[in-house]
Amino acid sequence: MSFEYHEPTSLAEAVDLGARFGADARFLAGGTDLIIQMRRRKIAPRHVVSLRRVPGLDAIEANGAVRLGALVTHRALERYPGFHGPLRALVEGAEVVGGHQVRNAGTVGGNIVNASPAADVVPVLLALDATVTCVGPDGERTLPLDDFLLRPGETAKRADEVLTATTFAGLPPRSATAFLKAGRRRAMEISVVCVAAQVTLDGSGERCVRARIALGAVAPKTWRARDAERALENQPLDPATLREAGRLAAAGCQPISDVRASGRYRRLLVDTLVQRALARCVERVRGQRP
Amino acid sequence: MSKIDLSLSVNGERHEVRTEPHRTLLDVLRTDLGFTGTKENCLEAECGVCTVLLDGAAMNACILLAAECQGREVLTIEGLAREGGLHPLQQAFIDHGAVQCGYCIPGMILAAKAYLDEHPSPTEAQVREALAGNLCRCTGYQKIAEAVLAAAGELASRRT
Repeated sequence: MSFEYHEPTSLAEAVDLGARFGADARFLAGGTDLIIQMRRRKIAPRHVVSLRRVPGLDAIEANGAVRLGALVTHRALERYPGFHGPLRALVEGAEVVGGHQVRNAGTVGGNIVNASPAADVVPVLLALDATVTCVGPDGERTLPLDDFLLRPGETAKRADEVLTATTFAGLPPRSATAFLKAGRRRAMEISVVCVAAQVTLDGSGERCVRARIALGAVAPKTWRARDAERALENQPLDPATLREAGRLAAAGCQPISDVRASGRYRRLLVDTLVQRALARCVERVRGQRP
Repeated sequence: MSKIDLSLSVNGERHEVRTEPHRTLLDVLRTDLGFTGTKENCLEAECGVCTVLLDGAAMNACILLAAECQGREVLTIEGLAREGGLHPLQQAFIDHGAVQCGYCIPGMILAAKAYLDEHPSPTEAQVREALAGNLCRCTGYQKIAEAVLAAAGELASRRT
């Protein structure tokens, strides 16, 4: 590793540095991916621009809509009191990442930009219809997270843009989320499959008004199981409907076989975990005080 | 590459270091400042032997640039024992035979300290989860967990 180090103290200064160095520069957040990729010589930026002194990037704002600054750590997500209710999947996704040391360093923004198909918090954000905001020399733009993610390690972020935040609308009443992960062991493990679900029930608590299902490690990028979602809308969420959703998600995903699991096993996991995550959402909605 | 001047606060003392910007906190601690209690192994934030506390939070020093640590407080294993003797965690590790080859122990103790600072009376399952980022290849986890629980008890009794 060999590079010039920059520590801008404003977003404007960070954007200027990005514009000046373009693809020769990388923005540094928690470093849990970037520093390792540099040490493995996968990338060799000549300039590293730390974002740690840019004010406000580590802020969580939750008043109706939720805005997570790019430097919000996994640890901060776990601890944020407002995420222990209907948004609990954010906590569940964050708390299975690495060990405490990695969660103290690794950030939401870095997790998104790293674009690992096996990221744990990204499916949760996808299930919440999150958008991503980037600021570059031409100003600010906001795009859906689903469009921002392209393929392993690649996003729509331009080299001279800083990802500043991810944002999503607050959930309507009678909503819940859940996140489940299958790994070969419980800690410090890359997901074999992970699933995030979001469900909103109607006033009777029977029919599904809205469903979102996002899956990690089953496609080149974090993937929304839209066929399965459609099969749930306006349906009563009985076991047969959940089984159909699991079947559709398993049929639609494109898992690879690798050292962690075979593609066939991943499909079986998808079928089961989708049903379980949806059932957990339903339980959670019904457990809420009216 | 040009060098940069860093002013690092380690174990409550200021250290001035002139170094290349790519060097990690682990590098600077061990090579420039002689704090070799912070161990080096995987260099990929997997094993936890390089754990230090940065502003009280457990971090892997192998993936932290030294430059990122300016203005923050670093605690290494050397800073844990006060004049009064060993920290209760250190004493408990000795008393419970939790140290085998010893290589993972500084990281284990610091990760445990960060956890106990915020969760003074954990269960054994919580202790094990708190140490998930620290590998012991002698596989002495049982005695390590027992030592951390004993230290938690000792720390609690000192508070009352």
